Amino acid sequence: MNARRNIFTSDAFHGLVRNRVVIILAATLIIGATFVPGFLEFRTASLGLDRMATLGLVAIGLTVVLIAGQLDLSGGAILALSGIATIGLQAELGQIPAAFVGLGVGIAAGAINGFLVVVLRINSLVATLASMLFFRALAHLITESRPVSGIDPFFGLAVSRPIGGTFTGRTLIFFVLIILLHLWLTRSVAGRQLFAVGSNPASAEASGIRSRAYLFGAFVFSGTMAGVAGVIQSLSVNTGSPVFGENIVLIAIAAVVIGGTRLEGGRGSALGTLGGLLTIAALTTAMEYQSVPSYVQAIVTGVILLLLILLDRTVSGSQRRDVTLAALWRRARSSRSSRITERTLHHEK
Amino acid sequence: MTTPVPPPPGRTINRGLFSHYGARLGLPAGILVTLIAGALVSDRFLTVQNLTNVLINMSIIGIIVVGMTFVFVTRGLADLSVPATVAVGGLLVLGLESSIGTIPAAIVGVLAAAIAGGINGWLIGYAGLNPVITTLASGTIVLGIAQVFVGGVIVYGDNTEAQAFLTGRVFGVVPVIVLIFLAVVVIGHLVLSRSMLGRWSYAVGSNPSATGASAVPVKRVRAIAFLMTGTLSGFSGVLLGITLQTARPGIGTGYEFDAITAVVVGGVSLLGGSGTVLYAFGGLLFVQLLTNIMVLLGVPTEPQGLVKGALIVGAVAIDVALRRRGGRE
Repeated sequence: MNARRNIFTSDAFHGLVRNRVVIILAATLIIGATFVPGFLEFRTASLGLDRMATLGLVAIGLTVVLIAGQLDLSGGAILALSGIATIGLQAELGQIPAAFVGLGVGIAAGAINGFLVVVLRINSLVATLASMLFFRALAHLITESRPVSGIDPFFGLAVSRPIGGTFTGRTLIFFVLIILLHLWLTRSVAGRQLFAVGSNPASAEASGIRSRAYLFGAFVFSGTMAGVAGVIQSLSVNTGSPVFGENIVLIAIAAVVIGGTRLEGGRGSALGTLGGLLTIAALTTAMEYQSVPSYVQAIVTGVILLLLILLDRTVSGSQRRDVTLAALWRRARSSRSSRITERTLHHEK
Repeated sequence: MTTPVPPPPGRTINRGLFSHYGARLGLPAGILVTLIAGALVSDRFLTVQNLTNVLINMSIIGIIVVGMTFVFVTRGLADLSVPATVAVGGLLVLGLESSIGTIPAAIVGVLAAAIAGGINGWLIGYAGLNPVITTLASGTIVLGIAQVFVGGVIVYGDNTEAQAFLTGRVFGVVPVIVLIFLAVVVIGHLVLSRSMLGRWSYAVGSNPSATGASAVPVKRVRAIAFLMTGTLSGFSGVLLGITLQTARPGIGTGYEFDAITAVVVGGVSLLGGSGTVLYAFGGLLFVQLLTNIMVLLGVPTEPQGLVKGALIVGAVAIDVALRRRGGRE
């Protein structure tokens, strides 16, 4: 019992858990490279990332919502709705204005979510469940449950074609956005304040942060990202469909949580989400190359997710501490130097 | 001038008449209005045949609603693994009935779902994990395992007698499946309102730390809510499998949201500590009657979400507003 406690409370173990995304990603890549020929080739990576891009955009929005301590189930429905606007309005407005309308649909839908949660004070789980049903139904109503096709199949190639022999357009958009999010969360005052709002909205408010504005903003941001995802997804296949993005939110939440963001709010990172997404992409690619049935893939993803949150809980159940590599090093040095000082003092006596 | 007297501990005095009765009478009034409106817009609405259909349609989901009410009351947020446990029940009963008989197969199906619910309960109650992400993950795993078991395909049943029994009518009016559902509702209601477990559930939902301090097994009560939801969903899946005589892995898709909708419309708060099984039942009845009217009016299935979504928002917004008026926020 004592020994077990020591393992679970040791700094090394905390460090492992905190940096778990890197470890799991590395493990997945190694296993994938061992069993799948050509797994680490650039082409495979590029294809895998391309398929992940839409999911990744939704996950970017969810990262912010989860850090703010809320939940957003409506991303998939917003994605479908904005895709329908993007494609369905092409004939009337032209392609580029229609894409902007699609984006606007995402922003407006996010604002509706924000209104429900911040103004009407409905719990975000229930509020976004309701808006999810609403947006999805709206998508079916507008299209009469049929997919709509765009006017020019070549227009969308810009987002789905590799640019300069590297990644596809949408992968690059995703990378740029997640790096921007990382900078915003770590370098800006507003980003830091978002964490404060997520850990405790009331005390954040007491210290002069406008919590409700941040919560509202988080939902608008999430809706916008789902809108971007919808525009890109629909353009790349030249189709808008009311069934797009049916399961995307749950997978995106899984990716964000694998990346170390907590559903209770106040903790998380953009790079963690990136790691979570890469892990899921690598896992899916590896298992598909091995023709593992999709339900077995689901089991593997679910088990990893469950183990991670269980580990996370074991660690955060004990006291919180800083376990970045830099902090561990600092602590190791300070404890050694304090021991040395003690010894010298002892000698002087 | 009199000095202001601090209000007595009972909150009824603080609350206005409207907020006091509004919260209780809103739902019955809503159901009544729906019944009248239904009768006005369609002459097929108030027939025994149609209302029996409504009852049959709500039976399967209603059994899950009873479990979900306990999850809500104990502040367990929601159980998102419902589609998986429903599928487990349905797939196992049909997959096994040819080899071991329908009733043993049904028992196995319910037990398997109960194990899944128990694991959820352990993870959420004892290990203290977040219910949303836990049931999301466990649902994925459980559904995957069930699919491995049957090979990821559709399972067909061959016991039409059991099917006929469940859909057959007692006294020529009430189908057996409706009776089972009503029995579950009554038992669930009695457990929540009269038993020690019920009182503990309210206590855990309204103030976990104070409840823990007064020697109530908080962890166990939390766990039991998820165990119940898993078991009842499995049972519901078994009934669904037998009535349809066919089950695919996606058989329970959307049931978690339907159950949450009913519970929320029934005025059970997601914040825990309040609400009854009867009101959740009323919420389900209200939603089902509305759906039925839309079907009679020829509204296709998918756009009905517009009404459901608006209904959830309306119900919760009114609930929140009344609470704030009553000074209970």
